[in-house]
Amino acid sequence: MSIPSEWDLTGKKAIITADRRGWTPSLASALVEAGASVAVAGSDASDMSDAVDAVRSLGGKAMAITTDLTDRVSVEAMVFRAEDELGGVDILVNNASAEFGKRFEHVTENEWSMLMDFNVKSVYLTCQAVGRRMLKQRSGRIVNIGTALSQRGLWNSVAVCAAQGAIHQITTALALEWGREGIRVNGIGAGWISTSEPSEEDQRELLVRYLPSRRKGHPDDLASLMVYLSSDACDFVTGQTFFIDGGALAHA
Amino acid sequence: MLSEKLSLEGKGVVITGGGTGLGREMTLAMARAGADIVIAARRTGPIEEVAEEVRALGRKSVAISADVTDTDQVKSLMDSAIDELGKVDVLLNNAGIVRGQGAIPIWEISDDDWRVGIEVNMSSAFYCARAIAKHMVERGGGKIINVSSGFGYRGGRDNYIYCVGKGGIVNFTRVLATSLGRYGITSTCIVPGFIPTEGTDESRLTLPRGEFIPIGRVGHPHEMGAVAVFLASGASDYMNGEAFIIDGGGLAGGAAPTGHAPEIPLVI
Repeated sequence: MSIPSEWDLTGKKAIITADRRGWTPSLASALVEAGASVAVAGSDASDMSDAVDAVRSLGGKAMAITTDLTDRVSVEAMVFRAEDELGGVDILVNNASAEFGKRFEHVTENEWSMLMDFNVKSVYLTCQAVGRRMLKQRSGRIVNIGTALSQRGLWNSVAVCAAQGAIHQITTALALEWGREGIRVNGIGAGWISTSEPSEEDQRELLVRYLPSRRKGHPDDLASLMVYLSSDACDFVTGQTFFIDGGALAHA
Repeated sequence: MLSEKLSLEGKGVVITGGGTGLGREMTLAMARAGADIVIAARRTGPIEEVAEEVRALGRKSVAISADVTDTDQVKSLMDSAIDELGKVDVLLNNAGIVRGQGAIPIWEISDDDWRVGIEVNMSSAFYCARAIAKHMVERGGGKIINVSSGFGYRGGRDNYIYCVGKGGIVNFTRVLATSLGRYGITSTCIVPGFIPTEGTDESRLTLPRGEFIPIGRVGHPHEMGAVAVFLASGASDYMNGEAFIIDGGGLAGGAAPTGHAPEIPLVI
């Protein structure tokens, strides 16, 4: 069965950022399955090489570009190389995010800065470096992968929630600013995601029983929407963040 | 002066469902702030008692029996209120029912359950606002305060009627704000979280002490008083279309069960 045309990314060139959470293989594979060629950018400790392996095992084209996503020079060099080797950039997926849970009174200034740099500044750097090229070609798609913690508080998660709120509003404001130049900026707000297969043990976990879906999500659950938001069909949709959270945000 | 802004001296207030629970507390708080109050509800006993308490505070108060889902009765309620108070500055749409509206699977909800529940919890606010809006327009202003619920923002399992009605109230408030703002009428909405009253069926509370609420306790009915006074007073004159959420942090959380507190070292 072929992919519906709205999900067709044939000939598109995409950059996706990688982190340690392990979502990148699923997301990069979906981009490639839809026809895109992909550059994966992240540190050597991230799931970047797993993502490249996953894409290649599908017979797709992917390249890894070791990048410090918190460093302007490194990000600009990455975008330059991706554009050069892929032959352009049409899609940017900001997937990279660090996890962090600690009572707020114990969070150090260094931890705060590191988290904000990795989760928020990285989005600024990639959007700007890729966006300048998209502005020139007057087309482009940016998908910011955030979480539902842009909408809700969570214990031990002040810094993470603050970072998510920032990403959410980058999506809203940037969509407005670049809307007339053919660039669409949207977000996906992920719920509780796990990369492992659901087990019977999971079902006993309080968090899982709390979720209306009665299961945690998998990165694959985010992939179809990410592809749509990366496609030409997604031209009247911008500035929105769509939550894929198993009903967590609807919960009383 | 803050005390002047918060004063309800000389204001005429109509509150529906003002005889019991949160309504009673809001009525007494507004009376202490100086308001004259018409208290409406179906049952006369409780509203007569509260009206007596209000009069004991030196304010004018009249209890009027009315079914707020009956538009004729609503109209005569508002006419009587204007007669008794000389004018109505504030309408507080508090009437609603929680009891008998708990978890019912969707296939067991009858047409009548649905219609009655939506009438009481949602349409009543529309009937009351409609009946008083012209009066407020002619007077050059007024305040309409609706009462929603945390369930107006979130889905409660199998709690269709109440959640839908209260969700409707939130957006009804926005429409009122958008439509009547130009006549000097502001509309707001109070969103209480879990505040048990004498009408709350304790047996249905799985965690009666409120461990599931971020601050670790349920609300007290008297805590609604200050919110009602603020929204009824000049102190909230620039607030329009918005909700005042008083829920111990309930709506700020909810992405995970209470107490779920991940501890994850930061590794970039």
